[in-house]
Amino acid sequence: MQAERAVLRMSYPRTVVEALHELADAQATAVAGGSWVLRAPLRREPLADRFVALNKVDILGRFDVASGAISIGPMMTHDRLARSLPHVMCLEALRSAAACAANPGVRRIATIGGNISVHGFPASDFAAALISLDAMVQIAQASGERVMPVTEFLAQRMTLQRPWLVTCITVPIHLDRASVHERLPMRRAGDYPSAILSASASRQGQWRIGVSSVEDQPKRWHALERALQGVNAAQAEEAARELAGAFSGRDTPGTPGWYRTSVLPVLVRRVVSAIEAQLGRV
Amino acid sequence: MTVELNINGEMRRLDVDPRMPLLDVLRGELRLTGAKAVCSEGFCGACMVLVDRQAVPSCLRPVGMLEGLEILTIEGLAPFAQPNAVQEALLEHDVVQCGMCFPGMVITLTSLLYENPSPSREEVKHALSGNVCRCTGYERIVDAVLSLCGNNEVAAP
Repeated sequence: MQAERAVLRMSYPRTVVEALHELADAQATAVAGGSWVLRAPLRREPLADRFVALNKVDILGRFDVASGAISIGPMMTHDRLARSLPHVMCLEALRSAAACAANPGVRRIATIGGNISVHGFPASDFAAALISLDAMVQIAQASGERVMPVTEFLAQRMTLQRPWLVTCITVPIHLDRASVHERLPMRRAGDYPSAILSASASRQGQWRIGVSSVEDQPKRWHALERALQGVNAAQAEEAARELAGAFSGRDTPGTPGWYRTSVLPVLVRRVVSAIEAQLGRV
Repeated sequence: MTVELNINGEMRRLDVDPRMPLLDVLRGELRLTGAKAVCSEGFCGACMVLVDRQAVPSCLRPVGMLEGLEILTIEGLAPFAQPNAVQEALLEHDVVQCGMCFPGMVITLTSLLYENPSPSREEVKHALSGNVCRCTGYERIVDAVLSLCGNNEVAAP
């Protein structure tokens, strides 16, 4: 068996159980679209010895819309998701995240499951959007399946007991909520945004804010959520300026950490304006 | 490991590592060098091919995941002496410069017109946002595409 595996560079499980079995091999990595794993050499990382292709596990490509929530299989590509989401304002942040990340060609192959599962990708559009929408993530492990809030999943994903696999992402539909996704890239396509901010809000002023790309890990901005109750866009920007010190921006070539945190208040003003517009308040 | 790929309408059996990017197989194994190896991370668009009629960067597609799909490269898009409508339009508008990015541009634009035979200027620019040209501006490329709006030769592959 070991000898067979040594030459079997790619396996094609048909079920989640089979996929977990393959992923129990420490030299194996799950491959959804392939856009992350094939860039390993550019990150000065070795290519995984074995690819476990998930494209034949049908259930991972599902997409179901029910009255209270949508269920998204992790193999949904950005492009397919952007085209599939129903047009309701509470899902606009997710649609926008799916429609504007990377570029059109990459969006046709990169998946939502890969986007939130990979190690070392700080600029996930989906992470911010899913945080703002109170999404739940279902994962499968040898011990069974469990469901957890996306914030918990994002915090734990690198320490989860291997093997694990995201099997479903559930986003609640609250028709009275508005949502917006904003990102600030240097160019229209071809680079990662300096900062990404997603927000959703109810008519009663209950906010959810997700931030990505500023720090190494995405996070929910609790303090800002509280500060946004009952304020307009200009006041929101001011509040964000006072609270942005809670972030420690990551330094990368071309984008210093201070820049990432300094643009957050502007993104906050934009999302508050857009939310107000969706809710018909302007 | 043997991988069987449908490339330009021809079934090809290849003894390759299934983890290899399609781009490397096209260029290194099959000598189909129209797709260019430039950024290798899906940003530049120079290696675009059609997979089931969708334009995707071939540098990011492991060949082992492409069995059963139709792969069309720039070499298979049209006979050499009979450029397709997009190629004709780019020639007529005299927009081709060094040629490095143009195979990818043609693939992207052909795919766009399959799906949307009458795109707006904004839609053409949006479609090209993952195709980088360092020689020239994009306006005349967009003009060339807009000259094809509603052209049935493009809409019917």
